[in-house]
This record gives sequence, structure tokens and C-alpha cells, in this order.
Amino acid sequence: MKALGSSGWKGPVKFRMPTAENLVPIRLDIQSEGQRYKDAFTWNPSDPDNEVVVFAKRTVKDLKLPSAFITQIAQSIQSQLSDFRAYEGQDMYTGEKIIPIKLDLRVNHTLIKDQFLWDLNNFESDPEEFARTLCKDLGVEDPEVGPAVAFAIREQLYEIAIQSVASARESRLSKKGRRGSDHGSASKASGLSMDLVKLFSFKSSVVRKRKDLDVYEPVVDLLTSEEVDALEAREERHAR
Amino acid sequence: MAAKAPDSGGSGEILPITPSLSETTSGVTAASQSTQPPSSSSDVDTVYVPSYSRWFSWTDIDDCEVRSLPEFFNSKSSSKNPKFYIYLRNSIIKQYRDDHPRKISFTDVRRTLVSDVVSIRRVFDFLEYWGLINHSSSSSAKPLKWDEKSAGDASSEPPTTVKETAKRICNGCKSICSVACFVCDKEHNSKAYTYEKFKRVELSEESKKVWSEKETLQLMEAVMHYGDDWKKVATHVTGRTEKDCVSQFVKLPFGEQFVKESDSEDSLEAFDKIKGSADLESGGSDKEGSSPNKRMRLTPLADASNPIMAQAAFLSALAGTKVAEAAARAAVTALSDVDYEAEKNATGDPHRQDANANSGGDITNSERAWADAKSLIQKEEQEVEGAIKEIVEVEMKKIRDRIVHFEKLDLEMERSRKQLEDMKNLLFTDQLNIFFHTRKARKSEDRVDC
Repeated sequence: MKALGSSGWKGPVKFRMPTAENLVPIRLDIQSEGQRYKDAFTWNPSDPDNEVVVFAKRTVKDLKLPSAFITQIAQSIQSQLSDFRAYEGQDMYTGEKIIPIKLDLRVNHTLIKDQFLWDLNNFESDPEEFARTLCKDLGVEDPEVGPAVAFAIREQLYEIAIQSVASARESRLSKKGRRGSDHGSASKASGLSMDLVKLFSFKSSVVRKRKDLDVYEPVVDLLTSEEVDALEAREERHAR
Repeated sequence: MAAKAPDSGGSGEILPITPSLSETTSGVTAASQSTQPPSSSSDVDTVYVPSYSRWFSWTDIDDCEVRSLPEFFNSKSSSKNPKFYIYLRNSIIKQYRDDHPRKISFTDVRRTLVSDVVSIRRVFDFLEYWGLINHSSSSSAKPLKWDEKSAGDASSEPPTTVKETAKRICNGCKSICSVACFVCDKEHNSKAYTYEKFKRVELSEESKKVWSEKETLQLMEAVMHYGDDWKKVATHVTGRTEKDCVSQFVKLPFGEQFVKESDSEDSLEAFDKIKGSADLESGGSDKEGSSPNKRMRLTPLADASNPIMAQAAFLSALAGTKVAEAAARAAVTALSDVDYEAEKNATGDPHRQDANANSGGDITNSERAWADAKSLIQKEEQEVEGAIKEIVEVEMKKIRDRIVHFEKLDLEMERSRKQLEDMKNLLFTDQLNIFFHTRKARKSEDRVDC
């Protein structure tokens, strides 16, 4: 047990998205002049900064929004990018982390609910590939679902990466000397990760327990227009 | 196969195409490959692709794609690979064609593709530039609002300008156009026939043939600004088509632009000479052969790539026609004199002078043969000279190499000599040590004995 634990500990890694492509999820929600613009997409932070303005102009032109949106969109994207970049210099611990990722989104008429395990340590993982395969396998016809799924996954990964940076900072501040096993316990305490050891020990089997089966199954629902309207109204009420 | 980038004029012919995979839901029909517009077509279904994008295929990647979008092909990141590029490109094009003829916007596309938005934008821009999406299709098939003189509608044969005949016959109603007609110079794509694309051309006999001052001025300005871009020139000059502009420009007396005096003929000659002398000096400048000398005279001004020509033209403009002409004549005669002198020195033969003087005149056969033989001999001499030069160069190179080799050997010698010195020193110190030791030993022996 102990040997396994220590082998699981990895040195601190420079912060980045734990995916093959270091893409940042960007969410926009801008209201101005009575119009509301909501959007979510992924951005590559290594692209030059002038791309932000180009993108903002393009979007405003395509969606025929008032031109006041251009600066607001550009600013919002820039601030999210600089937040991301601020994290970039710092260390994060990844450890042996397998986390459950939950999807619960509605895109136009399609509702998707799903939960699956994701290996945070796998820096070759590709949420885009996963989203494409998911939509293809589930026969989702609406092409806007794919990007939304990829975005949701990325957002959650981003959150967790930020948390691990914060926890790394904390552990460094509080416990100056001993890191390894202490950090392992800290991450377990966060409750998100699963203990690999427990999962794959010879006592338990890899097969999922019955009660978890429903949770881990993807569900796709096609809604009618009235249901969509009802849901939207409810969301707005919650937002307020 | 390498495909050249489309020039901004978009002058390629249009080919209607069918995708090789038949997955589009809007029945794309295969129109015959011709540049003539289809007489009666289901316009909504046929997708037109410009001929400079002929290389496109659903399953392959062409060189120009690799060149323009290298990020997908340089394997810097594992997910930006060619397969991913094909996925992006095919989905964009498919989406466009599904909704054809509506123009597709970048935002529509990026909402449906799983990728980071900047890559999508790059592929989208690339495809739009090459006319594979959003190619000259109007957003809605507006009914043509025709002037009452020329009737026509979108589905029938589109009117073209009949330039060859003096009178214009409307393609729509087949009657002679009297007051005005609408002219469209775009490619014969039926989707392009919206009201805006047609220019109203007033038809009276004079205005067709004779260019007014205003128009000429506009033409000059446009050429100065846009150079070779005749499309832009035509838009700048109101009421004239591209072909009109080009033909008028070619006919223009050159002096008009720079010289207030109407010394057009002389200045024509002068610039011819300048060009000739510049050619001699610079070894010929390459221009498109399609336009005659006139164009070559003006474009060097706009064409910075041939500085000699630009300089010459500029200087001559500064100096004025008469001076320029005189200078040019003097230059040319001086040049031919030099030539002439050189040949005279080489041969000292009076026959050659005669041949020179009578060039184009009445040379007898023997003199001509003599001239030919002369030139052949000269050519051979030059060849021999060239060969000798090469041989000399090779010998020089050999010598140089030997020198280098020798220097290396020298260096080695130095090094070994130095080593020898060092060894000698070491030996000497060893000997000294031994000597001292023996001395000491003997001394201690003596002491012991005593």
C-alpha cells in the first residue's frame, strides 16, 4: 500500500489543461442595449492576441449585433485568457486522480445527461474527440451538441486544475517539509478523486456496481418546442 | 498538382461540380462543364465552384492547403492532424452546401464544430478565399428589376453584352437596345444576377466609342492607383466595362498623362527608345506580352519591381518630352556607336560597316553570308573564352585546395615539434631529479661512513 502510494506521487507540474491541446474554455454572457449574447467555446491561448478582436468583429457581424458588443466581447475574452495565463506559471499537483465528470446540458432541443470517469493525469486526453464520438454513437443530429459537450468537459477540467493549483499552494504554505503523502491525503480529502488502489485491488472487481449503472449511463432526450420554452423560462427565473 | 492562388480579379471560369460522395441532401445536379450559363436550370441545386479550385476533393489534401494551413500538417500537436483538418473542411463545405445558396457565416460554422475557434476561422477563411464556400451566390434570388427597355428574368438566358456588333441586342427580348441597357460583367453564374450587379450603360453611338475627358481622367487615376487590377479600374470608371477600360488604356496616347503639350507621337517614340535602351542595359524586362508597348510604358511607373524602368520614366517625365526624346536618341546612337566601334576594332573590315549601314536595305547575298560567318565566329570565340575561364577557375581552385592542405600539414608539424620540446623538458627535469637524488644518497653514505 505504502509503496504504491509513494509511486503514485508525481512532482509538481506546470499548470496547463490536462488535455492534449491546451485549450481554454471561454464563456460569454453579455447584455447591452437590450440584447443578450450568450456563448461558450474553446480558445487556444497560444494564438496571437489580435485574433480576439478579429473574432469579436466576425461574431458581431455574423450575428448582427450592435457594434458596442465588439469591445465587450473582446474584453471578456481577454480577461478570461489572462486569468488562465496567470495560473500558467504556477505548479499543480495531479497525483493519481480519476475524477467523475458530469454532463447535464441542454442544447437547442437536445438534452444530455451523462457521467463518466476521466483520468486527470492523462495529458493526452482529448475532450473534443470524446465529444465527437459521443455524439456520433448516440446518434445526435444537432451539430451544436458536440461543441457544447466538449466545452462542458473542458470547463470541469479547468476548475479541477485550478483547485489543484490552489491546494498545491496551500500545502506548500502550511507544511513546509513533508509533501508527498500529505498531499495525497489532501487530494483524497477533496472527495473528488477516487482511490485507484481501492478500485483496482484484487478484492474488488472492475465491474461497476449495479446501483451505479444508471448514473453512468448517457441519456439523450429530444424535447419539443414547448418543453424547451418551459425550461428556458425556468432557467431565467433561477438566474434572477 | 500545384494550383496557383486565385488573383483578385476572380477571372477564372466557373465549373459546376458534383461532390464525389453523394451525401448532400439537396440534390446537386451535374450540369455539363461549360462556361455558358445553363439555359433552364434548377438554379438552387447547382453549386458552382471556380476553376482555380479544381483541385478540391473530399478525400484528399492538396498542396495549396498544406501551404496555407501548415498548422495542421507540421505534427506539432497530436490532435491537429490532417484527419482533423479534413473533418473541419468537409463539415464546413457540407454545411454550406446543405443550405446553398444561402451564404454561410463563420459563427454558424463554429457553433457546430468541435474545435478551438481560431483554427475553425482559419479553415473557413481559406475555403472562402478559394471560393469553395460562399462563392458569388446571392443571399436570395431577388427577381431582376429590369428597366423597361430590356426585359429578362433570372431563369432565362442572362443578358450579356454583345461587343462585336455596333448595335446592342438585348439577350432577353431580342430587340435592339435603344436608350439604355444593363450590363453585367460577372461570371455567367445565374445566381449572380441580382439588381445591383448590373451597371446601367447609356447607349448613344458616341458614348460607346468616344471616351469623354472625365472618363479618361478617371481611367488614368484608376490605373495609377490600382495598376493591373482592371476590375477595380472598371468600377472606378463609371459606365465602362473592364474590356472597355483595357482597350481604351491601350489606345491612350501616353503623353496625355504627363505632358500638357500634345506631342503625343514624339513622346511615344521617345519612350519606345527609352524602353529599348533600358532593355539593352538591363537585359530585358519581362512584362506580359499581351498588351502592346503602350501598357509597358505606363506600368513601369506603378511597377516598382523594375527600378530602372521606373527611374527612366520618372526622369523623362521630369525633363519634358523634347529633352527626353533628344536624350534618348543620343543614348541610343551612343550605344550603337559603341557597338559599332567594338566591332570595327575587332575586325577592321569595311564590309561590316556596310552591312550595318544597309541593315534592312539592299544587302547582296555575299555580304549577308559574310555577316553570318562573322557572327558565327564571334560566337565561337565567346565559347572558347568561356571554356578557358572555366579551366582557369578549376586550376585556381586546385591550387587553393593544395595551399589549404599544406597549411594543415604545417600546423601539424608545429604541434609535433612543440610536443617534442615538451618531452625534452620533461626528460631534462627527470635527469636533474635523479642527479640530485644520487648526490644526496652519496652524501648520506659519506656521512654514515664517517
